[in-house]
Amino acid sequence: MEKFDVVIVGAGLAGLSAAYTLARAGVEVVVIERGDYPGAKNVTGGRLYVNPVRQYLPDIWEEAPLERHVTNELLTMMSSENSTTIRFRSEKFNRPPYQSYTVLRGTFDRWLASKAEAEGAMLVTKNLVDDVIKENGRVIGVVAGGEELGADVVIACDGVLSLIAEKAGLRSPGDPRNYAVGLKEVIELPRETLEDRFGLTGDEGVAQLFMGSLTQGCFGGGFLYTNKSSISLGMVVGVKDLMEKKPQVEVPYLLEEFKQRPEIAPLIKGGELVEYSAHVIPEGGMAGLTTLFSDGLLVAGDAAGFSLNMGITVRGMEFAIASGVIAARAVQQARERNDFSAASLACYQQMLEQSFVLQDFKTFRHAPQFLENPRLFSFYPEFADRILEEVFTFGEGPKAKLSDTVRKHLSFGEAWRIARDLWGGLKI
Amino acid sequence: MNIIVCVKQTVDLQQVRIRKETREPVLDNIPLTIGNIDKNALEEAVRIRDKVGGKVIAVSAGSEQLTDTIKEALAMGADEAILVISTEFEGADSGAAAAALAQAIKRVEDYGIILLGEGSADNYSGQVGPRLAEILDLPQVTYVSSLEVENGTIKAVRNLDDCFETVEVGVPAVVSVVSEINEPRIPSVTQILKAGKKPKQVFKPEDLGIEITRSITTLSNLAPDQDRKRILFQEGTDKDVASLVSALEAEGLVRR
Repeated sequence: MEKFDVVIVGAGLAGLSAAYTLARAGVEVVVIERGDYPGAKNVTGGRLYVNPVRQYLPDIWEEAPLERHVTNELLTMMSSENSTTIRFRSEKFNRPPYQSYTVLRGTFDRWLASKAEAEGAMLVTKNLVDDVIKENGRVIGVVAGGEELGADVVIACDGVLSLIAEKAGLRSPGDPRNYAVGLKEVIELPRETLEDRFGLTGDEGVAQLFMGSLTQGCFGGGFLYTNKSSISLGMVVGVKDLMEKKPQVEVPYLLEEFKQRPEIAPLIKGGELVEYSAHVIPEGGMAGLTTLFSDGLLVAGDAAGFSLNMGITVRGMEFAIASGVIAARAVQQARERNDFSAASLACYQQMLEQSFVLQDFKTFRHAPQFLENPRLFSFYPEFADRILEEVFTFGEGPKAKLSDTVRKHLSFGEAWRIARDLWGGLKI
Repeated sequence: MNIIVCVKQTVDLQQVRIRKETREPVLDNIPLTIGNIDKNALEEAVRIRDKVGGKVIAVSAGSEQLTDTIKEALAMGADEAILVISTEFEGADSGAAAAALAQAIKRVEDYGIILLGEGSADNYSGQVGPRLAEILDLPQVTYVSSLEVENGTIKAVRNLDDCFETVEVGVPAVVSVVSEINEPRIPSVTQILKAGKKPKQVFKPEDLGIEITRSITTLSNLAPDQDRKRILFQEGTDKDVASLVSALEAEGLVRR
């Protein structure tokens, strides 16, 4: 059995960040990826917040192939015929260093892989890791393409539903409640057309989130991000709600309906569909995390469950990058001790706890429970849309007072429930 | 006796799409690979080596990324590589490629057979093999679907579409193969990992005294115009089915 210092399973952001960090430190590291190239199988809605991760991958952001920096944040509440949009624009977001960028993973991951390879990491694509090799309970390598590869430490960065974490006994096959399914189309438009449609100058970009009738009452919502010359458009729906919904509904069908909405159709008109992707998303928050380490094994990125729905934003990529780098640092510390046991690798969890990764998970630990409230996805968007509809409608007779309009749509019981939801919301 | 295989770096055709508006292929940022029939040539070379010994040397000319792309050939079993690297090769014609390959091959001692695919994955001119044979003043055997090398003699079956021709030629010779000759192997993980460490000689065109000339100008490169009917049936009732069936019948695509 050929042996290496570290074998990383999966060339996504976690795996590549770990590989880059280790290779830079002169550690012999092999990354095994099942896709044709890094990024081939990865899906993101489309936005990376750079501030949290700048320090983790120093010196490389200048040349990173990012799309547009987001200056316009839009939030749209949709009901069957109405929609209300809040548009927040900040000139502060339009000054470097920019805080967030839209991103296309096919491009970004390949670039990050090339950086890791330039530092000496060895990358093997088109190969699936089928199993972990254990000896006396500790992980000593992996089986890939029928061959055994040994390693002091294996870092599982094989994404949501991590097979490696499962084979190593760190994760049990999941509870549907902890997952959502995301669907995305990348629609290409001439750069000028796109900038005109969204009112953008230069490399400015838009991030828009949608909630309400588009998910037909299911947990989830829609998203739209502008790239340089394309739009990432898609939606995320909770797996449990999809399973329990009667009559059943298919997500691709929901996405088609969403695309035909008059709010969306003109934005993508004449565009060419260049990519269609779907992916499972970890949504379990703190409760959905796997055990993060064991003898000879670390788990990072989506594989560990590092994706967090904070209500208005769903974040995963920053956690992937940071956890990958922290895993690499943990390996370096373990190498100094020449001890790759769980006790030695426990420094991984300690460092994560000191970082924004586990601190954010702790802060937002109530978010999943709050977001389970179906009223967020049906009642509130409809309520807002209905009130505004009346405010903007002028009929034949005299116009009612605003307070009467609100009261008409809001019983005492309803007001009480809103107060309770609000209280729940304040906890996150 | 060493075996030389000429391979070409091209975009991975599976990843290329055609932009509907312009009908042009989108080639930006597409992963690079070596051509499919090149892999057949390589596979044949590895099989011959395993039988008669010697080394398999992959020779290629292309852009800077070639040092990375060539790992695929080394993973499949080539023992070493000779590369001629220049951005000028982008869009260069068969003459330039053959000239560069010939000069690189002249650096190899004791080669018995030079293998190529019948045509490259992108241009498919089928000229590089014959041109190479002329420059190196060697006999050539093209479109080979079956090959045997024994005691310095090459026995090859040529697939000429309407017939097969069996020929015999002494080494050294240039042989171009068709895809049916074999099934290229998929390299294992350890072979891929070892590929990065195999020896590579890298030359610039000027090192070999080559000037890259262009005798061909590409005026346009467009996909065939495919006009779609774009008929949408959206009544949402059984009437749609009837309309769809009659539309298909009108096109002669289904018959009752």
